[in-house]
Amino acid sequence: MFKPKTKAQTTTLFAWALIAPAALVMFWVVVWPLYETFRLSFTDSTLGTLMGGAEYVGWENYEKAIGGRKFPSIVTRTFYWMFLSVGLKVVLGLIGATLLASNIRGRGIFRALVMPPWIVPIAIGCFGWLWLYNGHFGLLSNFAEMAGITDGPYSFLAYKQSAFYSAVVTDVWIGTPMVTLFFLAAMQGVPRDLYEAAYVDGASRWYRFRRITMPQIMPTVISMALLSAIWTFNSFEIIWILTEGGPRGATTTLIIDTFKTAIFSYKFGAGATRAVLVCILLGVFSLIYLTVLGWVGKKYGYAGVQK
Amino acid sequence: MKNIKKAILLAFIGAGLIAPVQAEEVHAIICGGEIRPADQVVFDAFEAKYSGVKVNAEAVPWGTCQDKSMTLAAAGDPVGLAYIGSRTLKQLGRSGLIVPVDISDEMQALYQPGVLATVSDGGQFWGYPHAFSTKALFINCGLVEAAGEACVAPRTWEGLYNMAKAVNDNTSAAGIGLAARDFDNTMHQFLNYLYSNGGTVSNADTGEITFNSPETVETLAFIGKLAGVAQEGPSGYERSQLTQLYNDGQIGMYINGPWGAGQHNDNIAEIVVPVPAGPSGSSGTLLITDSMAVFKGSANEDLAMELAQMMTSGEAQYDLDMSWGLTPILQYEKMRDDVYYSTDYWQTFVEPIGRGGPEPMFEDFKALQAGINGAIQGIILGDGSAADLVAEAAETLAEGL
Repeated sequence: MFKPKTKAQTTTLFAWALIAPAALVMFWVVVWPLYETFRLSFTDSTLGTLMGGAEYVGWENYEKAIGGRKFPSIVTRTFYWMFLSVGLKVVLGLIGATLLASNIRGRGIFRALVMPPWIVPIAIGCFGWLWLYNGHFGLLSNFAEMAGITDGPYSFLAYKQSAFYSAVVTDVWIGTPMVTLFFLAAMQGVPRDLYEAAYVDGASRWYRFRRITMPQIMPTVISMALLSAIWTFNSFEIIWILTEGGPRGATTTLIIDTFKTAIFSYKFGAGATRAVLVCILLGVFSLIYLTVLGWVGKKYGYAGVQK
Repeated sequence: MKNIKKAILLAFIGAGLIAPVQAEEVHAIICGGEIRPADQVVFDAFEAKYSGVKVNAEAVPWGTCQDKSMTLAAAGDPVGLAYIGSRTLKQLGRSGLIVPVDISDEMQALYQPGVLATVSDGGQFWGYPHAFSTKALFINCGLVEAAGEACVAPRTWEGLYNMAKAVNDNTSAAGIGLAARDFDNTMHQFLNYLYSNGGTVSNADTGEITFNSPETVETLAFIGKLAGVAQEGPSGYERSQLTQLYNDGQIGMYINGPWGAGQHNDNIAEIVVPVPAGPSGSSGTLLITDSMAVFKGSANEDLAMELAQMMTSGEAQYDLDMSWGLTPILQYEKMRDDVYYSTDYWQTFVEPIGRGGPEPMFEDFKALQAGINGAIQGIILGDGSAADLVAEAAETLAEGL
């Protein structure tokens, strides 16, 4: 049996003992599923071969997935969905945080009112939106008709474009509160003396926001935008509950396509291939995003932005 | 201390005694979210026949039921039997998760024409058919007459379209309710029209996809035409939502099963008529069944098989059909003098059985739904010509066969 002979060895052993439980958990929760997904992606695993018997098929699944006639449009749609949704969340989050940070009466109440979309379970919120978007019984359609915008019922989820943008609106509604709160927390950390000095120098509100607030909270904005991008890219429940990826694939993103292939059609090998592709695409996107922002940070000197 | 040891010993003995009793349990998943009283009667009779055997019947809503049965089986913990859509049987059978069932010649002769085709694959039966439905057209006569038309059954698609257009143009309601959401009953609605136009989906004997045909193109084009007189945004609706619109007086007519009358408001004056014939065929219907499938490798496979047989034969099956309001799955007139389906209303659902077509069996049945629903949504949303959309759907179907 190994017995540590020196104090350094004892320390090393003790350190390993301390991290072992966490490492084991990480292995079972992260490493093993990732490895299994990767392995499955090279097999023809289906419902019948789940308990054994799946055969190695090499790159066949990847060739079929990438060469499929719908794949390019699904990837484009996924990135468009992500950029649009995250962009709106960041802009609305900034506006919301700025308003909530301002010194107005009842600020606490407004801050509390921002929370519900985030607190309410996503499924419940989506069912509410499902009703709002309904053509014959929905609130939005009825308001539009009463206001003379439409001349009859309009089912928002029945048409390709309106279904896509309706899903974006719901995603933004659910995702904005958290972004707002993160930005608000960052804004509250900006030293007050910077604002006071600028105020004394006669700087306008907009100038102070642009030259003090934004640079100071930029690290938070960048981190939040990246996290939000990853969550939005992989956002499943909202689209699934509202449209299940339809009509005619108009709201099918990569994660919906992965679910439909792996779970809906029991093609676990082909589904795992899509999951691996999602990881690769997100990894590449994150790398590009951080590289570009690192370069921008260096050039313009945003605090905390480092490559 | 002595008492503690005794207690532990007794606990082990007790567990040993309980174990064999637990093994004598037949786990049944019943899709639909409820155990029908007619089925419960069979469970009670089964337990009385096999003392010590417990039927653990678990009602699961349709949305998750089939997936649950399949996932449990794939994970090596199969249920004894499950009441599931027959369209899943081919996939389950070819995956080795269910066992073929034996249906006697006598019983085979009793089934309505076409019913056994919904559970057959590779020359074997993969489930006992347990619930059967055909479809017909429900017409709100109040709306038709308000539109200045006589409320009589349209015999052809042209007659159907003209009636729907009259309602659409002359009342505040839409002419017809059209389901086009990505749901199974959207595909079912289409198949009712397709089978009424002489079309087919696949050749069960050769496995060849026959979907890409002039009859299918004609049917899809007609669906596109109907969308012009249907409720706004058909792609957002499935059949149960059409029932709500029908009850609300917002659509003049729609296709539903025999349970439709029980779901409709009493104040609606309606007629129920066969699905009108297309230009290339005669009035037909889709034959859909749900079945009792017996899973391979459960603790009590033989008991599960017998329970499935008891549930699907004789008086038990008759009670279920009658109490549930289903199209008769067996030709009960060969078994008894009085049958519940002798009225005109029922004949609308029974008479077309011989001209009906089965819900096709596909190994990847989700591909079947995706292919057909994609074509329906495509024609409604103006994504292409009927011919192109049918060709595209046929490709998807070929992948799923």
